[in-house]
Amino acid sequence: MEDRSLIITPKELNDRKTELTVIDVRPKEQRKEFPIEGLDAVLSENGVEINGQKVLVCQFGIVTEGMIIENELADTFSLLGGAQAWDEFYREQKDLSRWSRQTVLPEIGIEGQKKLLGGKVAIVGVGGLGCPAAQALLTAGIGYLHLIDGDNVSLSNLHRQPLYSPDDVDKKKVKVAKEKLAELSAETSIHITDTFLDEENADVFLADADVIIDATDNIKTRQLMDQISKRKNIPMVYGGLFRFEGQVAILNANGSPGYSELFPEPPSGGDTCEDAGVLGMLPGIIGNIQALEAVKLIVGINPNLVGKLLIYDGMNHSTEIIEI
Amino acid sequence: MKIKVKCFSQVKYALGENEIILEMETGSTTLGLEKIIREKADGKLDGVSLRVAVNQQYQSEETILTDGDEVAFIPPVQGG
Repeated sequence: MEDRSLIITPKELNDRKTELTVIDVRPKEQRKEFPIEGLDAVLSENGVEINGQKVLVCQFGIVTEGMIIENELADTFSLLGGAQAWDEFYREQKDLSRWSRQTVLPEIGIEGQKKLLGGKVAIVGVGGLGCPAAQALLTAGIGYLHLIDGDNVSLSNLHRQPLYSPDDVDKKKVKVAKEKLAELSAETSIHITDTFLDEENADVFLADADVIIDATDNIKTRQLMDQISKRKNIPMVYGGLFRFEGQVAILNANGSPGYSELFPEPPSGGDTCEDAGVLGMLPGIIGNIQALEAVKLIVGINPNLVGKLLIYDGMNHSTEIIEI
Repeated sequence: MKIKVKCFSQVKYALGENEIILEMETGSTTLGLEKIIREKADGKLDGVSLRVAVNQQYQSEETILTDGDEVAFIPPVQGG
């Protein structure tokens, strides 16, 4: 579907608009929501015969890709993100078309994408949970990521921490993670801190976040994050793992329960992945759920896991949601 | 009365079951059920703190159970 030769972005179209014929293929009822301003578009319903290269525009850029492939149309582009993406580009000079497959969701839309681009997320721990969470948030278009971890890459990390390769063993995780993530997108500002979170630095390191992702591997650090999260009223997306199980909850969101209510002090038990063992897919699933909940918080999507604990069992694929 | 116990993480591994059905006396409580579960675990849950939920609701205090209740015992997990 995503044959690059079929696709043109709003910015590319703007640069080439004098040489391309733009054809609006939308039914009349769709045209009001996103008018195609600044382009001399013709309506396909009027029956057009075009020589030369042309650009088909539908509402979100999905219908036109299908039209081109099914009809094997030559010299024809589909406008990525469709009229929705063009409208934003024309009015705000922002090309958001790379996220068109998520802005088409009514729950996200252009306004939600702008919130993501302005969002700041601190990820504490760039291991099994932090790697997938960082990757998912970056590709979703989060504007600012702060990766906090003092650890180095170990060979035993690689099966569940896909940002690292054998050549990275003994290197600082946050430095390698930043390099790998930067290759995926230049749209996110990535800040790194190559020390562990502790009582001395936590206040400063977490101060500028809209959301904290708890991707740490120990309860002591989690309790510290919980205190800061509660005091500063910055929601924290908790994630934990035990063998084939994972837990996720949004804590301290506008007074919702925190980790100290979820597991009152002093919690005992609970082995780390290094001790208990884990398949790499589990942190992948749980880290992605944490990223999903962070996106919901930033965009303002309900329902979410505020005040709830999700337990996912990868063995039988059951989920349990418990009101905290 | 019948109580369904849902087992998570260490509880599941200690008992070897995802869930078990227990016959209990009327008026039994979550605390009494936790004692039974710890006895069944035969020491494997010693030192493991457990939170309890009844019918998908956390309970911060001892709660009287009724027939058909679903009770979950949830230990903290670390991971990462």
